[in-house]
Amino acid sequence: MNAGIAVATIAAVLAATVGLGFYGVRRVTMDPEQFIVGGRSFGAVFLWLLLAGEIYTSFAFLGAAGWAYGRGAPAFYILCYGTVAYVLSYFLLPPIWRLGRARGLLTGPDFFVAQYGSRKLGALVALVGFVFLIPYVTLQLTGVQVLLRIAGYGAIDSLGAVAIAFGLVATFVYGTGLRGAAWASIVKDALVLIAVVFAGVALPVRFFGSPAAAVDHVLARYPHWTTLSGDASANGVTWFVSTVVLTALGFFMWPQSIAAIFSAKSEDTLRRNAIALPLYQLMFFFVYFAGFTALLVMPGLTGPDVDQSFMLVVQKYYSPWILGFVAAAGCLAGLVPASVQILAAASIVSKNVLADAFGIATTSAEQTRAARALVLVVALLAFLFWVFAKTTLVGLLLIAYNGITQLFPGVALSFAPVRPSVTGVAAGIVTGIAALAGFALAHRSVVGGINVGLVALSLNFAVTAALGYLAFRSVPVTAERFE
Amino acid sequence: MPGKTSPLSVALALVPVLALTAGIPFANRVEPRIFGFPFLPAYIAFWIVSTPAFMLAVYRFERRS
Repeated sequence: MNAGIAVATIAAVLAATVGLGFYGVRRVTMDPEQFIVGGRSFGAVFLWLLLAGEIYTSFAFLGAAGWAYGRGAPAFYILCYGTVAYVLSYFLLPPIWRLGRARGLLTGPDFFVAQYGSRKLGALVALVGFVFLIPYVTLQLTGVQVLLRIAGYGAIDSLGAVAIAFGLVATFVYGTGLRGAAWASIVKDALVLIAVVFAGVALPVRFFGSPAAAVDHVLARYPHWTTLSGDASANGVTWFVSTVVLTALGFFMWPQSIAAIFSAKSEDTLRRNAIALPLYQLMFFFVYFAGFTALLVMPGLTGPDVDQSFMLVVQKYYSPWILGFVAAAGCLAGLVPASVQILAAASIVSKNVLADAFGIATTSAEQTRAARALVLVVALLAFLFWVFAKTTLVGLLLIAYNGITQLFPGVALSFAPVRPSVTGVAAGIVTGIAALAGFALAHRSVVGGINVGLVALSLNFAVTAALGYLAFRSVPVTAERFE
Repeated sequence: MPGKTSPLSVALALVPVLALTAGIPFANRVEPRIFGFPFLPAYIAFWIVSTPAFMLAVYRFERRS
């Protein structure tokens, strides 16, 4: 009975959201520019919704609370990296947007093709984006699966539930493209905001009187919970700063983030968003309060189970209606970003690998069709990754970010007075990813306290500079400089 | 990079960036409490709220020049 009410609530909310997405695109013709970058017509508010919709995902909803529950202060890194990334975006995004507008670019890899004049480099970048989007999509799926299982009070077969949820989201992207996702973000952001404020205020108030009192209780029991350890340990202060730097640099390297940049109506839209978006980070404090409350009320979860923290409290102490509502918001926080990520992964492979590198599906209609077919392929791959490689939300996000940030040197140096050679950029990316693979095989997440992703990024920069500027003649290549 | 970016606007933007990276080791403490909250998260919250003010100043400055 309880499970029926909770699951019916989730189903109703998801159906309404998908309906809104289809309503939003009812009179829009789907060419690639419309499908992938929403016709480059999004104003400040719509872009805000889309960016926020992409950024505040299952990781924010469950993963951040899980970290507050399982680790404490290291979770605060999320507050810092988003804010630093928005500041960086103020300067980095307008020139990327101008290039996109001038050359009709659709995808992140297109940017590399335009700046370095090499379609092979574009294909390499597309493959990197594709590969590291899979764990990110899987992260969303894992989140949805956790929520459905809790909402089912143990009665739901999670594999079947996730298969249905994912079929729904794949159909949704297939039908509506980026514009539909932006519409769905409206519902998702509103519901997530309500759910997060509920979890971050109502839970601590119910058990301890106020959020500050809940934090006091945490400190009474775990005196070091809101500070970082000073040494070079896995989540110490050195790790914190290096992870903030790494993930802030990687923040806008995602193919879906670059598509969002291109969807902006003007560069001023991007600047105004960069100014305002840091405030959205404050939402994480509510998530932390929810995680802290769960730590006191339901201690004892370990490993991947920490991701369930506050949802288990809601399940135990609140009515199935409320559980269903909060879980529905969380499901949207997974499914809407997943749809945008799937769309981005599909479009970079159809455009930059199939069409540009192999000459397959080159006309506009063929490309939209290829991107749509690939949407289904990506959804299936992420689903398989979920079935075979189950791991924590935190683990998934760190894998994804370590990889995608390796694209940063190529983007940043393309604006330098003298650009590195294509060989240098490609060798840098390959070096960075090889280093990550090495660290992963050695089960290292830090070296001397520094996040291995930043170590790999430094090697990447060094190789890009050495081969790009010294070994080969550095380049004016074929593409003209873009100012 | 955008033609209007000047050393002053970069300097302004660097303030919150440095506060949230290099500043963290110095803010890594529980006391003093701010409105009852431990110092580290309160410090981070302060900078999150201040960042738009810094960026708005950059925006205004670039507009004018």
